[in-house]
Amino acid sequence: MLLDSLFSRRLVFLTGKGGVGKSVVGAAVAVAARERGKRVLLVEVAAPLEAARLLGGPPSGGRETEVLSGLFTVNLDPAAVMDEYVRHVVKLEMFTRRILESPIYRRFFAAAPGLEELMVLGKIMVLEEARARFSQKPLWDLIVVDAPATGHGLAFLKVPLAASAAIPAGPIGHNVRRVLALLRDPRRTALVVVAVPEEMAVVEAVQFHGLAKEELKIEPAAVVLNACHERRFTDEDEAEVLRLTTEGATGDVERDVPLPAALRAARRQIRRRKLTRFYRDRLRRTLDAPLVSLPFLFREAVGLDEVRLLAGKLEAA
Amino acid sequence: MAPRLSPAAALERALATRRILVACGSGGVGKTTAAAALALRAARSGRRVLVCTIDPSRRLATSLGLNQLSGRPRGIDLSRLPPPPARGGALWAMVLDVKSTFDALVTRYTPDVAARGRILGNRFYRHISAALAGSHEYMAMEKLLELTEDRRWDLVVLDTPPTRHALDFLEAPDRLMDFLDTSVLRWFLRPYFVAGRLTLKVATRTGALAIRMADRFLGLQFLQDLSEFFLAFESMYDGFKERASRVHALLREASSGFVMVAGPSPLALEEALYFHRRLTEKGMPFVAFVVNRVHSDPAREVRSRRRERADVPLALAARLSETLREQQVLARAERRAVARLEVDTRERPLLVPELDHDIHDLRGLAEFGQLAFGSPAPRPRATAVAR
Repeated sequence: MLLDSLFSRRLVFLTGKGGVGKSVVGAAVAVAARERGKRVLLVEVAAPLEAARLLGGPPSGGRETEVLSGLFTVNLDPAAVMDEYVRHVVKLEMFTRRILESPIYRRFFAAAPGLEELMVLGKIMVLEEARARFSQKPLWDLIVVDAPATGHGLAFLKVPLAASAAIPAGPIGHNVRRVLALLRDPRRTALVVVAVPEEMAVVEAVQFHGLAKEELKIEPAAVVLNACHERRFTDEDEAEVLRLTTEGATGDVERDVPLPAALRAARRQIRRRKLTRFYRDRLRRTLDAPLVSLPFLFREAVGLDEVRLLAGKLEAA
Repeated sequence: MAPRLSPAAALERALATRRILVACGSGGVGKTTAAAALALRAARSGRRVLVCTIDPSRRLATSLGLNQLSGRPRGIDLSRLPPPPARGGALWAMVLDVKSTFDALVTRYTPDVAARGRILGNRFYRHISAALAGSHEYMAMEKLLELTEDRRWDLVVLDTPPTRHALDFLEAPDRLMDFLDTSVLRWFLRPYFVAGRLTLKVATRTGALAIRMADRFLGLQFLQDLSEFFLAFESMYDGFKERASRVHALLREASSGFVMVAGPSPLALEEALYFHRRLTEKGMPFVAFVVNRVHSDPAREVRSRRRERADVPLALAARLSETLREQQVLARAERRAVARLEVDTRERPLLVPELDHDIHDLRGLAEFGQLAFGSPAPRPRATAVAR
């Protein structure tokens, strides 16, 4: 259901506060699309290690690399994207080299306000528009972008808006407006807000949702609530846990599982699942976008198995 | 040689003696909460403390139990939280507002009204200055300098922007100095970019070529606007540079200190290790690691003496075992990661356990401090005698 809606477009943009598991959710969306037989590109921005860590395979570089059949990753390093742009526009190798090797160019790029963000977004647009040479079919069935957590998640997306006002003309201004049109087109782009069931992440998700709608004029397509604790104990179980705790019951539940420790763990689980419910209700009440929950993973590390598990949950949502 | 202080004691002493504490860490690890908790602790021990957060989502306000914080330091009423602070102790909080800090800077340092008007009215400046990834770091830097010059506070605790890399903030002064030193600026300040003079009458053929290329891939209008933007700031460059180098020095003084806040996952701690190394290389005073939201192992917290079988229904027993085991898996992985960090850095981190509730008021912040240090905020003996 959720995926049908997301996959009716070809660009999925994930955003959210740092630490909410945006990369994991992005990888799960990409894997779910691949399971449906789509040719998927997972885009990282200046974070070449995340996808490799989650999906296996080498760190992603500037070229699209197939890490699982049908699933590619690419790392967009803003400076490298800018170089590529220069090469594309200035076709003569001799001149290109002269520009790229110039220290002025390097430092200009590092200092020019907003240029990094614009270059990355422009490149994403180029990827979205790329067509296969013969069939003219889109090169990518789906592009999943793990937006960088610089400042506010929104700062990145706000750049084209600000730039569009600041640069009325010229190739940059023109491209900026095309990027903005792409992001705002609900038939082409889905903006997904990722949060976790915690006060600050939820406050931020609500703020972000509002800003996206009002300032950017982008309607978020979905909210993914990551790291949820779901109900495990029935009401009778919970009453029993409470009774046993008050009684100070002891003994072993089974080998290496002492009852007092297990009861403590159970009460913790119960409190957290209540918190999850509380924040989920709050998000449902305040936001009009569809909400999907993903479970908290009690794992030593998060790798391909875990990403597959989450992809399965997304598919079932 | 003086015996080495325990990590809690080292941080406690830093709170009592230093003038600047910078809380670093990647986004989402509870950095804002930690910064506010440290500031509160120092205030309760009798210092006049200002905590400044850069986070545009105003999280600090939430954790201080306020709806809003502004760009002006605002006194936090500590009487809501017994016991009262030690004598002289007080807490202020503020949020760094990038745009208004920038505006204030322009107003303060431009030589005349015309220069000021040129900047404040510049299209680039108006639309882009606050939206930039880097402007948060630059303005935090400028603000830090301004705040430490203000004698109202004994200690300024600075929360840093939520970047993916904790180092971005540290490198901001160097980046700015580097840029202001280069010929990029001079290039942009050349007359052929300036509006009205865009005639392309460039003396050399190379120059003409550069312009043509720049037009192709950026557009002359864009360059011209950018040039005006840089030009408008011309009168401020020396000031920028001078202050950036002062911050550069300030952050290396013994009265400053860095607290690294990290999550407990192996990956987060790897980043903490890297940060620690870079900080040491840069000659910046590291104070402590705070590892936040550590998942504890319930079996280590409660003891069970009897070993016979517990009387629990079978279905419940299975669910109880599963619940304990999953929490133990996580706790074990985190313990190992913390131990590795300890071995690699020879620093023992302060551990704050994952709480079952959110921190959104002063009481929660005090609790955070108590958990990190293992004791309530110390009260200086001298003060007790004076009373």
